[in-house]
Amino acid sequence: MDNERIKKGINRRSFLRSTAALGAGLVLAPESFGQESVSETDDINVALLGAGAQGRVLVDSCLKIPCIRFKAVCDIWEDYNQRLLSRRLKAYRHEHNTYVDYKEMLADEKDLDAVIVATPDFWHAEHTIACLKAGLHVYCEKEMSNTIEGARRIVQAARESGKLLQIGHQRRSNPRYIHCFDRLLKDAKILGRITTVNGQWNRSAQLDLGWPKKATIDTNLLNKYGFTSMEQFRNWRWYKGLGGGPIVDLGSHQIDIYNWFLDANPKSVIAGGGTDYYDKETHQWYDNIMAIYEYETAQGTVRAFYQTITTNSSQGYFETFMGDQGTLVISESASRSDVYREPSAPDWDKWVKIGCLIEPAKKEQEKPETDAVLDVRETLAPPAYKLPVKFDDPYHKPHLENFFDAIRGKAKLNCPAEVGYETAVTVLKVNEAVEAARKLSFEPEEFNI
Amino acid sequence: MLKNVFRSMFHVSIFVLLVFVLLLTPSCKKSTGESSSEQTKQQSSNNTRKEAEQTNEASVQLIPLDIKLPKPMFVGTPQNIRVPNLEKPLGRPRPPFLAPVGTENVALGKRVTGSDEEPIIGEIEMITDGDKEGADGSYVELGPFLQHVTIDLEAKYDIYAIVLWHFHKQARVYFDVVIQVADDPDFVTNVRTLFNNDHDNSSGLGIGSDMHYVETAEGKLIDAKGVRARYVRLCSNGNSSNDLNHYIEVGVFGKPAK
Repeated sequence: MDNERIKKGINRRSFLRSTAALGAGLVLAPESFGQESVSETDDINVALLGAGAQGRVLVDSCLKIPCIRFKAVCDIWEDYNQRLLSRRLKAYRHEHNTYVDYKEMLADEKDLDAVIVATPDFWHAEHTIACLKAGLHVYCEKEMSNTIEGARRIVQAARESGKLLQIGHQRRSNPRYIHCFDRLLKDAKILGRITTVNGQWNRSAQLDLGWPKKATIDTNLLNKYGFTSMEQFRNWRWYKGLGGGPIVDLGSHQIDIYNWFLDANPKSVIAGGGTDYYDKETHQWYDNIMAIYEYETAQGTVRAFYQTITTNSSQGYFETFMGDQGTLVISESASRSDVYREPSAPDWDKWVKIGCLIEPAKKEQEKPETDAVLDVRETLAPPAYKLPVKFDDPYHKPHLENFFDAIRGKAKLNCPAEVGYETAVTVLKVNEAVEAARKLSFEPEEFNI
Repeated sequence: MLKNVFRSMFHVSIFVLLVFVLLLTPSCKKSTGESSSEQTKQQSSNNTRKEAEQTNEASVQLIPLDIKLPKPMFVGTPQNIRVPNLEKPLGRPRPPFLAPVGTENVALGKRVTGSDEEPIIGEIEMITDGDKEGADGSYVELGPFLQHVTIDLEAKYDIYAIVLWHFHKQARVYFDVVIQVADDPDFVTNVRTLFNNDHDNSSGLGIGSDMHYVETAEGKLIDAKGVRARYVRLCSNGNSSNDLNHYIEVGVFGKPAK
């Protein structure tokens, strides 16, 4: 059994690796691993703008998608980010040019189809708008901007250009999340009336990011691109005016799911937080935040709590949707995806029969540790139903595939500009609420452009 | 008559015995003196043996290996790491590893060669430079798919443990990790495999039964059981995040072979 499991795992890995190797022109013809040959017309020429950690993650996923050809890499950190990614792409036989200045890249590269924007948040608006105006489709990392004004301009530019813009909320393309929304919430309404949402992303305390000293960027160049120092360049997420802090970096992914699964935007938010652990000079955004949203859905009021702390990783990250008939606990990490039935809910056998859920594993009767037969002080833990969807790919791969398929006219974007904008409005308001120290309302028109 | 004869013989015997005893007394002293000297020698010899034994005992006396660990560092979006045959994390610090007194990292500063002569980032010397931190600038990235590095210890050593850090900025699993030692740099002579988690022989070095493991700041410790060798080779074949191969540091803990 174990050998079979290992073999299956290896086969899947082999397939992904073969795809990457094929892209690199390193091995095998496509038919040798059971995939039909794709015509050259399906090739999509891509540039990467921003070759930092997130850019690398996206490129790694792209390398596992057939017919994606990188033609250019742009990053101001020539001696590290740009060099690393360029050499990595060369190892996969992606012939490309490198740039420091994105304007030069857009002027020189004549056969691009799309640009992946993975620069710091405060650059997203300028970069994305310029690429759209250059007639290119854009995959822009979330948050689509560090300001509402920037996000609004992006949406307008996307509309005016007629080009596709996918915002990088990758859970929107995750087959496990799609199953939960389409099958469990929309079709089966398995949770009944959702009343409460709870989510978190907790991380251990971390040191600030350093850099190889011999690869330090010249101060004039840093200043030109909006950074005061190398330290700030490396840790831009913590700085006001550059990033949005943990609520944006971490929370945005999950609060986006709140809006999606509740099929609504919030009415108000109240939040508390602060920089209580790190140096306030270098961690201008809050290192911990607890926020409560209020949603008015078609079924009624929903209160949604979200917490992110950066000093303790307890319980990691997840989202929990609680209704009067059940609870869905889901996380991007596949190790956490359970559905629990409330004792008063109708039987879920029919959902099991049609493949919406996998019934709880039957456990052998365990011997009680004490003489007590039943502890009546708390409700018995309900059995956990499982999701029938397996997803072992890199997390960002399906979202990128959705983007490329949309370019080919074979799919609809899962997170177009307007959706990304609604999430940006929802999330950026949390920082405002902390600063205001009071409940802030969302006006419906705030979500519209 | 007979009784008298016996009595005379008895008296003579006593006399002879007394004379003999008197004559032997100085000799006995000498002998005693000689015996004392020999005892001293014997004592000395015993002491030497004891010291030797103690030395031998010291050479096999086991103490916890002193492994300086880097700061833990997990950043960025977590990656999907559903990997078969994955070792369950201990959930607590690794127990002390006992090695003979005097065991130290004999790979520190030693020459490293590899299958990728032009690493994507970093230099191959970083593998033995003593820097175990997970940050950018502390690791070397080798090209995609199967790659190997070889450390020349410059002499034969009795190797008790190998501790390696591929990459601990992010939770990852490296595939087809095979660690071998040999007497020659080409790995032809006296090749011994210390660790192998290549379950399908994709590395061509044989099927291994060791488990996959998640990279952490603790590094992976391989019990080398005192194997004697000069060359250490480490292979890998990409990881759960990408096809690339990374090394932050490899420590080879041993003592000079005698």
